[in-house]
Amino acid sequence: MTVKIITDSTSDITAEEGAELGITVIPLTVMFGREAFLDRVTITTDEFYRRLTTGDVFPTTTQPAPSVFAEVYNKLADETDEILVITLSAKLSGTYQSAMSAIEMVQKKCRIEVIDSQMVAMGQGLVALAAAKASREGAKLDELIDLVRDALTRSHWITYFDTLKYLAKGGRIGKAQGLLGSVLSFKPILTVKEGEISPLTRLRSQAAGVEYLYNYVTSFQRIEELAVEHTTLPDEADRLAERLRTTFPDVNIRRSIVSPVLGVHGGPNAIAVTVLEAK
Amino acid sequence: MKQTKFITGQDFREMFACATAWLEKCASDVDALNVFPVPDGDTGTNMLLTMNSSMEEAYRAPDNSSSAVAQAMAKGALMGARGNSGVILSQILRGLAQGIAGKESLTGADFAIALQEASVMAYKGLSNPVEGTILTVTKDAAAAVGKLVEEGDPDLTEVFEIAVQAANESVANTPALLPILKESGVVDAGGQGFYTILEGALHYLKGEAEQIRFRKPQMITSSVPMTGRPPELIAADEEPFGYCTEFMLKGEKLNTEKISSRLEKKGESLIVVGDESTARVHIHTLDPGNVIHIATGLGTVHQVSIRNMDEQHRDFLEMQKDKAPAVDMAIVAVVDGAGLAEVFTSLGVTAIVPGGQTMNPSTRDILQAVESVASDKVIVLPNNKNIVLTAEQVHTLTEKDVEIVATETIPQGVAALLALDYEANLETNASIMRQAIPLVNTVEITRAVRSTQINNIKIKKKQAIGLLDGELAAVGSSPTDVLHETLSKLDVSGKEIVTIYFGADTDQAEAERASAMVREEHHQLQVEVVRGGQAHYNYIVSIE
Repeated sequence: MTVKIITDSTSDITAEEGAELGITVIPLTVMFGREAFLDRVTITTDEFYRRLTTGDVFPTTTQPAPSVFAEVYNKLADETDEILVITLSAKLSGTYQSAMSAIEMVQKKCRIEVIDSQMVAMGQGLVALAAAKASREGAKLDELIDLVRDALTRSHWITYFDTLKYLAKGGRIGKAQGLLGSVLSFKPILTVKEGEISPLTRLRSQAAGVEYLYNYVTSFQRIEELAVEHTTLPDEADRLAERLRTTFPDVNIRRSIVSPVLGVHGGPNAIAVTVLEAK
Repeated sequence: MKQTKFITGQDFREMFACATAWLEKCASDVDALNVFPVPDGDTGTNMLLTMNSSMEEAYRAPDNSSSAVAQAMAKGALMGARGNSGVILSQILRGLAQGIAGKESLTGADFAIALQEASVMAYKGLSNPVEGTILTVTKDAAAAVGKLVEEGDPDLTEVFEIAVQAANESVANTPALLPILKESGVVDAGGQGFYTILEGALHYLKGEAEQIRFRKPQMITSSVPMTGRPPELIAADEEPFGYCTEFMLKGEKLNTEKISSRLEKKGESLIVVGDESTARVHIHTLDPGNVIHIATGLGTVHQVSIRNMDEQHRDFLEMQKDKAPAVDMAIVAVVDGAGLAEVFTSLGVTAIVPGGQTMNPSTRDILQAVESVASDKVIVLPNNKNIVLTAEQVHTLTEKDVEIVATETIPQGVAALLALDYEANLETNASIMRQAIPLVNTVEITRAVRSTQINNIKIKKKQAIGLLDGELAAVGSSPTDVLHETLSKLDVSGKEIVTIYFGADTDQAEAERASAMVREEHHQLQVEVVRGGQAHYNYIVSIE
């Protein structure tokens, strides 16, 4: 029996992609006031970013309830006896806790392991994809756990932010708190370190920010896979991806849109790159 | 939503037990917020210990009525109160108990009224109540639920929901009321603590006592932008903190007002609370012996605690360091003008040495700043050609690891500072910062101090002159026109941002005019105007 892989919607893997690759994607929830939307299920990225940039209600996010995980576990347990769950950083969301507490609600005999990726977005997504691939090729749960833990150490996610407003409002600003309150305007480059948002550096323009992302990627010697994501800057992200494609013709580059749940905290005009270093 | 018409005394106790557990999860985070009234960094722990003592007593209540449990909790809190925040919290609980007196069970309206009593009681306990603290948060929460009761007969859960929401907003707004919070970029620690207690109680009412085992309270972020600490505060000697002195006074017919007046002049942050038989005293004093001596004349003294606040402050600094980004290094910058000092501090400079053109600081001044910062690794930004050398002397005079990044202008200093890599070590950062220097051009507009001739340009005394990267580029009568002309000598293709720092003798309207001029001419450039407040220079402009 193949091991079933579960991840959450912040991995930026869409449900359709997931279905194709054997990954169950569990959506978090975006709330605009009292209106609740399942991430990328009952709200599209287009609709979400339109409301984020034009609406006056500031959205919030919530983790999936343990029961949501339990339902998926029980369903998958009919087909397999091993499940691997990869969640976004437990320091940024209670999704990991939900996934953990749902294990007790499973009646069928099935081994379920949950890994806190201490990552977000494609930093988590590329690893989940790698796990799904290995699972299809016959890897068992213990092998997959080793694979995921190893891949996570090689997964680097950094992002250009247009503003820190959304991160601060959503209470996820972490170690980048010290960047707030500047008299001078600047564009931060942030990363996720030990599961928390951490600052890398500050630049004064979008162009300089995108250049920094490019230079960051090219500083790696050996790359297994790359990802470029955006919230509301598709053209700039495309150009960056194209430039990287020229520099690394042999590397697969995934292009995607940051899921609404992360978009709530990232805000408009953000671009992220993920480097999955080669072993 | 779960409906709760009323709760019994047992529920009341369990609700606060849940709130205490919730507070415990973030006590150390609350500690790290503490900056007022003195940075001793123990607000969260103090509130938690106070709650613990309160809960212990709650289980000793003579019966299970809400009134009896609340009375017991108030007594426990008073006995175990620690620190400013703990004492105020005990007052809040005492007010709650008074509001609930005689009630068997508790409804939403009862609690709303009791919370108003609590707010009044909290203010009463202090000789000099300060807004932007737990007091304001309590008052705002009480006001919000008071309004709710006026409008109808609300459910208890609803009352707590409104109280939590109002407290949240109130905490986020504390920096607007208390400048020291704004300077430090934090919200009030006591306020955050009280908010967390209310939130924990709400979790209980909503039946989430189990779930919260896996969750952590949210720390509220300031809704007010942080302002840098003014440079004088950094350069000035620290106030002696003395001893945090606390004790319990027992006797007959104690008079808290009389106790207050006797101790008022003996120190700061005096709090005296209690009743006729028991009073709790908290004071920051340089002479705890004298305070205890006076107290023994007023009643019997119990539970004396005297802590050296210098030590507490050191622990606090250590804790702050943990909170700071991964880079363990400090940055010292030489800056003139309040506005520029704010720019630098808001970008993370640890200490400012006041100085600049015609006010060059001495090596000793810079050395002192280097020695004053908590880190052993220090980067110095001289920000002036004439100060670079002075700064370099510091190397030989300190044991610390110092890198002088030879910035010759303010724009170079800002560019270097922004380029800071939060993950890199001292040497790498110094190198990254040096690489940032040539990427920025500097224009400075000042007045000629004497008549002369440079590069075939005749200059009369007091004429406005424009320097482009230190070289004379233009002369004229109006500084704004000279700025315009100086900029025209620079190839701005490929440049993106112009920042205009206007000086002490230039008004904002004039600076905006200069900015409009630049925008007019170069549509691709983004222009930012910042009050620099520097002397001598009408404008300092960075082009990058």
